[in-house]
Amino acid sequence: MEEKIIIKNLNKEFYDPQRGTVKAVDNLSFTAYKGEIFGLLGPNGAGKTTTLRMMATLMKPNSGTIEIAGFDIENNSQDVRRSIGYMSSNTALYPRLSPREIITYFAELNDYSKENLTMRVEQIIKYFNIGDYADTYSEKLSTGMKQITSIARTIVHNPPVLILDEPSAGLDVIVAQKIHSYILDLKNEGKTIIFSSHNMGEVEKICDRIGIINNGKLLTVGTIDELRDISGKYYMEEIFVYFVKEFEKES
Amino acid sequence: MKTLISIYLKDLLRNNMLGLLVVLVPIIFYPLMYWGITQFIMIKKGVSESRKIVLNYKIESEEFSGIEDSLLSLSNIIPENTDLINPNKSGLFLTVSSQDHLPKYEVFIDSSNAIHKEIFSKLENKLIAYYNSETAKLIEKKNYSTEYFKVYNITARNIDGQNEIVTKVLSLIIPLISVMSILGSCVAASVELASGHTEDKTSETTLTIPLSREKIILSKFITVTIYGIIAGLVNFSFFIVFIMQIFRSFFGKIEEGLLDFDWSMVLNFKTILISIISLSLIAFFVSLIFITAAGFASKRKEGGVLVSPFMAIITYLPFVIIIPAVEPNILIAMTPVLNIAFSLKLIIANDINVLFIFETILFSLLWVLLLYKFLFPFLLEEEVLLGYSNTSLTKKIKMKMDRWKKK
Repeated sequence: MEEKIIIKNLNKEFYDPQRGTVKAVDNLSFTAYKGEIFGLLGPNGAGKTTTLRMMATLMKPNSGTIEIAGFDIENNSQDVRRSIGYMSSNTALYPRLSPREIITYFAELNDYSKENLTMRVEQIIKYFNIGDYADTYSEKLSTGMKQITSIARTIVHNPPVLILDEPSAGLDVIVAQKIHSYILDLKNEGKTIIFSSHNMGEVEKICDRIGIINNGKLLTVGTIDELRDISGKYYMEEIFVYFVKEFEKES
Repeated sequence: MKTLISIYLKDLLRNNMLGLLVVLVPIIFYPLMYWGITQFIMIKKGVSESRKIVLNYKIESEEFSGIEDSLLSLSNIIPENTDLINPNKSGLFLTVSSQDHLPKYEVFIDSSNAIHKEIFSKLENKLIAYYNSETAKLIEKKNYSTEYFKVYNITARNIDGQNEIVTKVLSLIIPLISVMSILGSCVAASVELASGHTEDKTSETTLTIPLSREKIILSKFITVTIYGIIAGLVNFSFFIVFIMQIFRSFFGKIEEGLLDFDWSMVLNFKTILISIISLSLIAFFVSLIFITAAGFASKRKEGGVLVSPFMAIITYLPFVIIIPAVEPNILIAMTPVLNIAFSLKLIIANDINVLFIFETILFSLLWVLLLYKFLFPFLLEEEVLLGYSNTSLTKKIKMKMDRWKKK
């Protein structure tokens, strides 16, 4: 299997005047393969977003390496950016631009070929079924419509790696299901997807492998069946609690 | 970068609330402030000034040639004997003729010029003194009784035509209002692009595109500059159309002058080009300050608070240009924003001072470079760039300070 994401000994510290130095990511390592959905599961503040932000070149790690699609984030950050589509709760849409404008602009910004641009935009609009509101300012769209537009914006330049930070957070079940189906389609196209969530059921449903993260540490990585075997638990919630407790015992 | 600037600019230009704020606020406040201050200055005319003024004089009667010594003793004036009284020449004019063996004076001054007025009061004292000494001589010579001699009376004539007064008013008001309009637009756009983007959570959206962070931030500066110029021009056009109507109703004399005024002095390619370049420089300069200040805030409200002290300082600087006694000097050329407003004043009044304009351009570029060099690293800091939403503003500043101390 082709390795698309290789993370080794990743560390990130923040300085807080009240708490001093806070370790947000602690010696984290994992690998994700082509055509795989890798889920990062952890509670709020576990270090998921910080890890994804480092992968997306938004933050610099204090130490450790990240390689995405064969490019190192330290030395080839521009190539990494060209190879990824990043979406999080902090990558909202420009309120006074329409989905069509946003999708077009982001294709241009990500160096998508000008010849095929219009065709690609129309293809994306059709695929995500956003034609009805493609020319409405995004500030007037519902949360679900915005989120679907965000995914469209993220994948318009056809990147091999997608980094999706809680893409279905705050959405109703129907829209969340739609988004899951889009993500599964993208996986079938051969894209590598890093998917973070604190929703256990969601991770269990769509991820090929799961990494459980807590307090900045990656406690374990495996398929759902492997995690069930190791923990002896069936439900994802129980599996998560098992690994957190095991880690606390060890430390 | 072009695409990114288009995104930012489109989003800003479609922001109706921002547009309303940018256009309405200056239209309401700036003319009021302008008139308040000019009226104040007109009343408080005692302006001390070290500048020398030429006093052109013509002595028509040989018997009063001794007055030259009195004129030479006057400070801050350069007396120049002339045969022709030409009110279009700069400086004051004095004619001394004879009436009943005593001097008769006629002085031509620009009554709207505070320096002329100040010099005139000094000159008047000298003329009175000379008149009195001549009176005393005459009394002694002819043995006249003193009560036959009336108190001295001088004739002062205003040499300024209506057109020149309007030129003066416009040369003050046009640069002032243009600078103010652009400042207002830039501050609003900067808050929107810095703290507004953090509040709307759109700042990270563009940070993962294959473009360096420097270029992304530079795009914001350029956007603010373009927006500042566009909004400033719209704002200024509103000002010209509506406010001049008010001026016409309230100030009849100015109306006559406005109709006669040679607008080609202001509305010509050279002046417009120089003005746009100068104003773009101002816009870029202030965008560096405002975006950095607002970058520390994660909400528009906080951004507004952080920007306001800088806005206050920068806004009040150009008001210096409406003080008539202020002359271009190196200190003004070194002061950002004020120097450009001052240069525009000179260009519009057709009083081109090449050295001052050169110094202005030089220092403005220097300021821009300095700010660019020192403020850019600030904006590249993760805390500012990503605007950590969970960290309060004071915490962010503290973190930054602590890091500096550590370094």
